[in-house]
Amino acid sequence: MTLYFLDAGTTFSKILEVDDSGNKKYSVIKTSELKNLDINFNYSTGHSSNKNKTNYENEVVALSYGVKHLKNGVILDLGSRDAKWVQFKNGSFKDMDWNTNCASATGATIEMLLKFYGVDVQNLIPNKEKYPVTCGIFGLEKIMDDVSSGIAPEIAISKFITGVAFNAYNFTKRPNKIYLSGGFCENKCFVEALKFFVEVETLGRFILVDGLYNIYLEKFE
Amino acid sequence: MKDIIAFWGYPHPSLIKKTKEEYKNAIWLDLDVDFNHPQASILPVNYCSIIKNIFNNAIFYKERIIKILAPVGRDKCDSAIFAVEILSDMGFNIETSAFEEKTYKKNNVYISESNLPLKKKVELITDNIISEKDYSNLEKSIPVAGFWGVPPNDLSILELFPNETHIFGWMRCVEQMAPFDIELEKFVNPNIKTVFFAQTFCAKNQLAKYLADKYNGLYIDIDGVSNNSTKAKIEAFLRLR
Repeated sequence: MTLYFLDAGTTFSKILEVDDSGNKKYSVIKTSELKNLDINFNYSTGHSSNKNKTNYENEVVALSYGVKHLKNGVILDLGSRDAKWVQFKNGSFKDMDWNTNCASATGATIEMLLKFYGVDVQNLIPNKEKYPVTCGIFGLEKIMDDVSSGIAPEIAISKFITGVAFNAYNFTKRPNKIYLSGGFCENKCFVEALKFFVEVETLGRFILVDGLYNIYLEKFE
Repeated sequence: MKDIIAFWGYPHPSLIKKTKEEYKNAIWLDLDVDFNHPQASILPVNYCSIIKNIFNNAIFYKERIIKILAPVGRDKCDSAIFAVEILSDMGFNIETSAFEEKTYKKNNVYISESNLPLKKKVELITDNIISEKDYSNLEKSIPVAGFWGVPPNDLSILELFPNETHIFGWMRCVEQMAPFDIELEKFVNPNIKTVFFAQTFCAKNQLAKYLADKYNGLYIDIDGVSNNSTKAKIEAFLRLR
């Protein structure tokens, strides 16, 4: 029997299939296409999952189970509309935080900025200068002011991303190293910007579905 | 018709006793509780929800309130002192009290350490300020979690906790009839995972954050109604810690 695990994010959904032999297959689809799938997921998590289903799992719990192999460290998952982190010390849970509601300084805002200014994310160059984006809305105002004064949108958006990275560093209580999970792992500008402040190791965007699989194994095997 | 004795916090037992004797048929009303009455708009928008409840409830029941029993000592908070001034100016009959001694301290934590649902525990402790029932028959639970703090404005967060959650902080002090005992208020079980709660804008946030850091607990503050973010954090903390 093939097992299916789903991390249904706001924009993209990550799926893990595990066949009878334990072989794993990862895939990403647009969340808007989820309704076209005829799959009963063994476990699901994420903003777009049905939280009332019995097999729904809390996202921070899924993240924690996805990084069980990391005995020590801070693991940050930065997605389209939320940010969450956990810290482990000697294999035990130590600390956590989760901002589930404000998306003004997360992936969705950056996606909108890139579309608004017609900028390709691959063309962004990390910039040590940063906008203050404690509130992303105020950060947007800075971008608009700078672009209207002649600064290239690519540079302005890069400064915004550095601000988001600085936020993430502070949100995780300024650790020495961050293990980064989620869609931002594929945003080179963000990863390099985060490295201005802290050592970074990327884990990819499938940590939560791996966590769901680990939860399944713990419960049923 | 005036038929209500209103109160907030934990009025001194001697004042409760005297008032009960004087107004035998009165209805007792805890002004701290959110009954969803209209906003009185007397206090600043950004202010403690519990103090706002006091004003909302007092004004809603103004024609029925005989008097308000108003703790103003270290067992409540500075906001209560100012609330007394404002409500008196608005025409309410108010009698203040303050715990000044520890002689009322008892070693009973029957409700705080029982196996009742956490929300029920909180309701029993606050109801028992007036009803003064004996709960020594409650079954004691082996703790798996702790909840430190005051009764939250949004009681729904209490439903996230297992029944084997023990109560610490001000509510435990109230059950032991020592609502101003700072040493007792700081007491927690260091061997269990504890959520340290304070109402946003309350001075107790200082102690909640400090104790959460000290005992590797989870510090939360909530203004009004809890959001999904806070509930998710509590849920994850109880699962992972």
